[in-house]
Amino acid sequence: MNAESTLTIAAKLIEAWTVETRTPEANRLDVMVDGAHLLEAIRVLVDEGWGYLAAITGLDTSVDSGVMEVLYHFCEGAAVLTLRVSVPRDGASVSSICGIIPAASFYERELREMFGVRVEGMQGPKHLMLPDDWPEGLYPLRKDADLTMKEAEANGDSREG
Amino acid sequence: MATQEKGRKFIVPIGPQHPALKEPGHFEFTVDGEIVTDATVRLGYVHRGIEKATESRSWVQNLYLLERICGICSHIHALAYCLGVEKLAGVTVPPRAQAVRVLVAELERIHSHLLWVGVAAHEAGFDTLFMYSWRDRETVMDLLEALTGNRVNYSANLLGGVKIDVTDEQSDAIWRGLDFLEDRTRHYLDITTSDSVFLRRTRGIGVTTPEQAKRLGLVGPTARASGIWHDLRVDAPYAGYADYPITMIVSDTGDLETRFVVRIKELFESYRVIRHILDTLPDGELVTRVPRRIKAGETISRVEAPRGELFYFIRSNGTDSPERIKVRTPTMCNMASVLALAVGHQLADMPMILVGVDPCFSCNDRTVVVDQGGARGGWTWEQLRQYGIDYYRRQP
Repeated sequence: MNAESTLTIAAKLIEAWTVETRTPEANRLDVMVDGAHLLEAIRVLVDEGWGYLAAITGLDTSVDSGVMEVLYHFCEGAAVLTLRVSVPRDGASVSSICGIIPAASFYERELREMFGVRVEGMQGPKHLMLPDDWPEGLYPLRKDADLTMKEAEANGDSREG
Repeated sequence: MATQEKGRKFIVPIGPQHPALKEPGHFEFTVDGEIVTDATVRLGYVHRGIEKATESRSWVQNLYLLERICGICSHIHALAYCLGVEKLAGVTVPPRAQAVRVLVAELERIHSHLLWVGVAAHEAGFDTLFMYSWRDRETVMDLLEALTGNRVNYSANLLGGVKIDVTDEQSDAIWRGLDFLEDRTRHYLDITTSDSVFLRRTRGIGVTTPEQAKRLGLVGPTARASGIWHDLRVDAPYAGYADYPITMIVSDTGDLETRFVVRIKELFESYRVIRHILDTLPDGELVTRVPRRIKAGETISRVEAPRGELFYFIRSNGTDSPERIKVRTPTMCNMASVLALAVGHQLADMPMILVGVDPCFSCNDRTVVVDQGGARGGWTWEQLRQYGIDYYRRQP
């Protein structure tokens, strides 16, 4: 089956929760989904055996817009379906999908650490990648993350660059 | 190694400095006697903030940065990045360059798989195999050095093509090297499937069924050893793979022995496709022009690294540096399986189960820390550049 018809099937499956769709390039389909219905959409994909979760991308494009995006990339052969959920920068939060896809755990922990997106219902210790003494509330992949304060600390560090 | 009591069970912390591995990772295994009942992992010890760093560098600088995510599968990172940026820029790379990219990617796979055979044999206590396989791996390292000038971080890619060509002498040398390696690889396949002591450490250990593999989201040879038909070189051919097709190696036994068999058989496939490329390398240009600013847009680039699917999400806002680059490496997918498989096995099997996924911590940890710029005796980009210029001026 070619990627196009695979994507058509996926689009049908999640039609009920689709807000808007886009085809950014060949073999791809981006579907905006309301965060409240994310789990339902993902449940259908998993139940129907459509592809696998390849990655979760956090995306902070502009501080002014007041929103960030969380992208759930599902792949099946050459086809890539991306569910895009928009979250407010203040109080950003999505539901954990680990109940449906246990393998998402690392991705969700990374998302929380790097973007400060609360993942409701997520298990696991606070830090995955960053040091235990990483400042509270500093989310490095946000565009407005002020990393200079860390630099001052690093200056006292005995390691030479 | 300390143990601490937790109810009636013990937690054995291992790492980050490891008795078993050469890379840092911290594991906590809860044991009941010798049997592991729970496992957790803490990563990030080689976390370098690369995703964040890409946002303050130009498209060209990032090529060099991203290639350094991993010292083992460096070419494939650069390749995934180049393919993505070229798609965004809308340029078509000449066929000869695409073929050379595949050539280097397969040489890299050979070195990576042979490296793994050695490491896995070492963890099983079979150091003779470790030393022989690493001795033989030098053959492919020499070929890569002759071809690209480097043993690691080959830097073969440019945005828009490659910077190396394959001469007739190099082609002959690769051909000779592959003949030798193919012979040795046959020997390894024989040993890893017949040595009774070795098989006690691999046969029936860490069995992952196809259902588990799918649920855990395994990728690469680890998944293919559990009956998952998934290889991007076949599913979504990139670079030159459409012209130089690969046969997927899949087996559904799912134990550690099968992971040896699948990876070793993939070596034969790499030898075959490299010969095919050398035989039919298309003539023509090696590079095409790519603009300094990349058109605004988003792209996804997926390639088959030696350890499995490597996923790049790249977003450009039309300037000369990217707005966001997301890298999802294969070890990130496979690591979770280690924790799941650990439960129910003996503590002594942990190194083998861990090494069975061919973990790569540098890949895994890549992302964010802090760019320290020129602070505290560090060098600024200007200083570093000037140093480079002066250094080469001094050369005779």
